[in-house]
Amino acid sequence: MNKSIRGALGFIAISALVVGCSSTATSAPTTSGGSTSAAPTKENVTIEVMASQDWIKPSEQTLATKFEAQTGIHIDFQITPSAQYFNVLTTKLQSGQGVDLFLGQAGVSDMKLTYNAPANAVDLSNESWAKSIDPLVAAQSTVDGKLYGAEVWDVIGANYWAITYNKAIFAKYNLTVPTTFAEFETVCATLLQNGITPIYEPISDGWHQVLWFPSIGAQMNALEPGLYDKLNANQATFADDASANTAMTQLNDLYQKGYFGKSALSAKEADTSKQMASGQYAMTMSEISRGTQIAAAFPTFKATDFGYFPEPLLDNQLQPVHPAGPTWMISNKSSHVAEAKEWLDFMTSPANIQWLIDNTPDFETLPFTGAKAKWDASQQAYFDTYKAATVPVLQDGVNYVNPQWGLMGTDMVAMFTGKATPLKVLQLIDAERTLEAKAAKDTNWP
Amino acid sequence: MNNKAYPTWFAGGALLLYGVFVLVPAVLGLGFSFTDWSAYSTDIHWVGLDNFAAIFDPNSNYLSAIQNTVLFTVATIALKTVIALGLAILLTSGVKKLSYLFRALIFLPAVLPILIVGVIFQSVLNPDTGLLNSTLRLIGLGGLAQQWLTDVSIALWSVIGVDTWRGVGYIMVILIAGLQSIPRDYYEAASIDGASGRQTFWHITLPLLMPVLLVTTVLNLLYGLRVFDMVFVLTNGGPGFATQTVYTTIFQDFSLGRYGTATALSSLFFVVMLVLSFFVIRVMRPRHEG
Repeated sequence: MNKSIRGALGFIAISALVVGCSSTATSAPTTSGGSTSAAPTKENVTIEVMASQDWIKPSEQTLATKFEAQTGIHIDFQITPSAQYFNVLTTKLQSGQGVDLFLGQAGVSDMKLTYNAPANAVDLSNESWAKSIDPLVAAQSTVDGKLYGAEVWDVIGANYWAITYNKAIFAKYNLTVPTTFAEFETVCATLLQNGITPIYEPISDGWHQVLWFPSIGAQMNALEPGLYDKLNANQATFADDASANTAMTQLNDLYQKGYFGKSALSAKEADTSKQMASGQYAMTMSEISRGTQIAAAFPTFKATDFGYFPEPLLDNQLQPVHPAGPTWMISNKSSHVAEAKEWLDFMTSPANIQWLIDNTPDFETLPFTGAKAKWDASQQAYFDTYKAATVPVLQDGVNYVNPQWGLMGTDMVAMFTGKATPLKVLQLIDAERTLEAKAAKDTNWP
Repeated sequence: MNNKAYPTWFAGGALLLYGVFVLVPAVLGLGFSFTDWSAYSTDIHWVGLDNFAAIFDPNSNYLSAIQNTVLFTVATIALKTVIALGLAILLTSGVKKLSYLFRALIFLPAVLPILIVGVIFQSVLNPDTGLLNSTLRLIGLGGLAQQWLTDVSIALWSVIGVDTWRGVGYIMVILIAGLQSIPRDYYEAASIDGASGRQTFWHITLPLLMPVLLVTTVLNLLYGLRVFDMVFVLTNGGPGFATQTVYTTIFQDFSLGRYGTATALSSLFFVVMLVLSFFVIRVMRPRHEG
């Protein structure tokens, strides 16, 4: 036997030994939640989940580990920076490269236009958990009567975007919660004079600054009743609407007057809690669970050290209603549809939904039957003080707004940096709506 | 007498693969650039030159992307060539001690993945906590601290700077090879004739290095016109549209489902690249093949 044959046989023998050892290790029984579970049956199955940064909470990853322990199915989370997520995901979807599960922003326009759910996702209408989702929320993941997504997202705590403010800083400078935009600017000016940057606005992610405009939609509609219907019927445009012009101009003023700070363009959303805890910033446009998040990350704070008031553009005093959040969809090109459904089934079981609420600082509640919320005094005060809007935010109520979120973000940065006027930004939004409506063969855009 | 080692049909396999994976998609892309193909509809209609008109519309952002691409290309060619030439001369005839170590250090950024370079420089160029601004403030030059990646008038230059830092080592290595191929006799003769360093550079080094410089220029040109990854990881085309280049715009249009305009823009640049590739082949082909 020559050297090379001996070498090859030796290599095969060692490889067989290694493979044999590893097989023994992975087939060992696992325990979960204190009880011994059934031996995993699908050890070699990995399902890939694609999600934007911050959409997958650490608690969900823990739940995925428990799921693996019970079923043997491994979940591989592929997290993409939020500024690039939609580009990367839509490129994958449109080029036919399927992942097993992907998260997308729910909303009727998005489900049709951005994700083309009927062509790319599995119909989940008959899943056991489908009937336990809040109908208002389920409607945001539904196209032509079919449910395509599981929205495991706090559509109140994580979706009611409002101004979070540091109560101690407000007290130090004798500031009261503003009720109009003029009062808000006075608060900002006072803070700036005292060396405090009024608002932490993370623009570098590309999406956060956009929130200021669509979140004020209900107030636009209140100032001009029927505006949503007119926009959807192509009988009105943002560029021609006085309140839209005022809102965009007021937003630009906040940036130009330095209320967002000198580094807003490079600020990151992921740093919001840290920056608010630093005491260098007094306010931020955020979910009404921000206080809980700050307290969880910085134990010297209590969640109730922070309060909330509605975004004050257009003198708004309404709570935004926003039932659309990240929703879990199963790619119909996946070869692991059954396993992906098994994961959704597991995650949305009543016990796990409650476990997620109890173990996720960002979630105060989840839109599933029987879920118990955990509102604190600041949040309850917000609910008690401000009325909820009667129409949802723009991206949920007006077609062809949410699919262009990233572009709106880019246009707004162009406005902040002097390359576009507020009117120009509104005209670009209108132009993009027309483009999308025509492409979707919307009969209101002949 | 037939001096070919293999029969012509041996090229069939390669031609088939090239045809299926390069030529057919390119021709199809050219065809689709005259349509309204989009992700929002399954119907495709002929729209003539509408997509090209949209690209050259003065109000669109496509023109600024083309302008940025040209500026990026010209600036990186100039910077990389001048710096790499200076370093190559320094490391072949100036610095003798540890010259291989210096060469390796200067070449190192070229082997780093661009994603890593992007992450590092996003941190280095952070206006508040970045190494660059912190150092400037530390040495009393705080006035020079800038919003490197978020100021519209600076961002593209920051990207150019980072790309130059990454690419200069690669060009330097090529130029060192070129410099070492110049016979020493010329320098000895010039030295005997009393030529100064400057005269030697202008009348011996530069003329004899010209073929190599031409090659590096063409390589930089093709790289610059195709730039995508460096912009994508550093600024993602922002702030606003300030650093959008042709290929980041194509990527954006594709991901937004605007296949028609995306294919029009990529077809346009396909033609530009085809012409430039022809130029590259002409330049790089040895004279005697003529």
